[in-house]
Amino acid sequence: MNEHPDTRDLLGPYVMGALEPHEERELEDHLEECASCREEAQELGLAHERLADLAYSTETPPEDLKERVVDGLPRREARGVPAWVAAAAAALCILAVLTAVLTPDLFGGRALASANLNPTDRAPDAGGEVSIQGTGENMEMRLEAWGLPPCKNEQYYELWLVEGDDRVSAGSFTVGQSGRVDVRLNAPNFAGSYPKVGITAEHDKDPRASDEKMLSGELHEL
Amino acid sequence: MNRVEDEVLVRRVASGDERALAGLYDRYAGLIYGTGIRYLRDRGAAEELVQDVFTSVWRNASGFDPARASFATWVYRITRNRATDLIRRRKARVRTVDNELPFESGEIDPSGEISRNFDVSAALSRLSSVHREVLVLAYFHGLSQREISDRTATPLGTVKSRTTAALRALRETMSFDENRWSADE
Repeated sequence: MNEHPDTRDLLGPYVMGALEPHEERELEDHLEECASCREEAQELGLAHERLADLAYSTETPPEDLKERVVDGLPRREARGVPAWVAAAAAALCILAVLTAVLTPDLFGGRALASANLNPTDRAPDAGGEVSIQGTGENMEMRLEAWGLPPCKNEQYYELWLVEGDDRVSAGSFTVGQSGRVDVRLNAPNFAGSYPKVGITAEHDKDPRASDEKMLSGELHEL
Repeated sequence: MNRVEDEVLVRRVASGDERALAGLYDRYAGLIYGTGIRYLRDRGAAEELVQDVFTSVWRNASGFDPARASFATWVYRITRNRATDLIRRRKARVRTVDNELPFESGEIDPSGEISRNFDVSAALSRLSSVHREVLVLAYFHGLSQREISDRTATPLGTVKSRTTAALRALRETMSFDENRWSADE
């Protein structure tokens, strides 16, 4: 509704009782004559009442309570996940947050989410970064990794989106003697909703992920 | 930019993401703590309620089904049940001391007001950051329109129109059952 735009803009502060006295008088004069503005004021008044109730019922918890809640969480046994994942989690959180803050535009495009990749015992010198960018159906994942053992024979690496026990392949690639890779892979449009990514070494055509985990990291929205 | 939906955060909690739980804490802890103070009448017990609720969310996130209820409804039910448990436990403990009850018996949230507050809190979290900011400053920090203007370095007229737009967006976002609400009133 675009009638009386100036008056309508004041309806929010009006229902909150936050207008100057002269503004309030003028607006009330207008409301007496304008049914559509009265109706809108009634709708905004309901939202105001609900918010006021919420504010009344809300108390600020002690500052340290959040830390106590998180610190007191029961340890969760990760099903089938090696101990290194749990050990790396804290460091990954810090690294990924730093990545999000310091390099919001990781690869020059508009990144939606990113992850720093941490190594496993299979590739202790490896590392990498994953960035998800794009919109709608045109999503892609940019992977940059280093320190991976060169592929031999039929071996290749596969990038996975990971959530719990679910694995969705985001594509495969090979690595030469440099141990480095810098590729863009088509990503499903829901890629950013996955909490983790991982890279495994694969040797056959089995569509499932192998147990040979090389790198993993937590995705963080930017 | 809108924030991540509650339901997405719960999925991440289910996969062991403590930061996602901290995100849900930021959205709901104040309301749960306030509910605790109101019904348990003790700040220490209210803190215990907050800890119990978020531990329960952590433990049971994998069983949360967004097709059956919103996260706000789910966490409200956990809060109500945990608060009821705490009241019973404290009643039993106090009875053994002096046989008097410091708490009124009765159902928690009989009018549905706390339930509505969880819905409004969820709706508030879904607003754009500029709309949420102006409402939070006004309602939760008690700032006047002019004080919000000063705090955010935004012209006063813009603050007023933004406040109107924010309330309108909130009204449209609220996922409450109008019939149930009017029946309660």
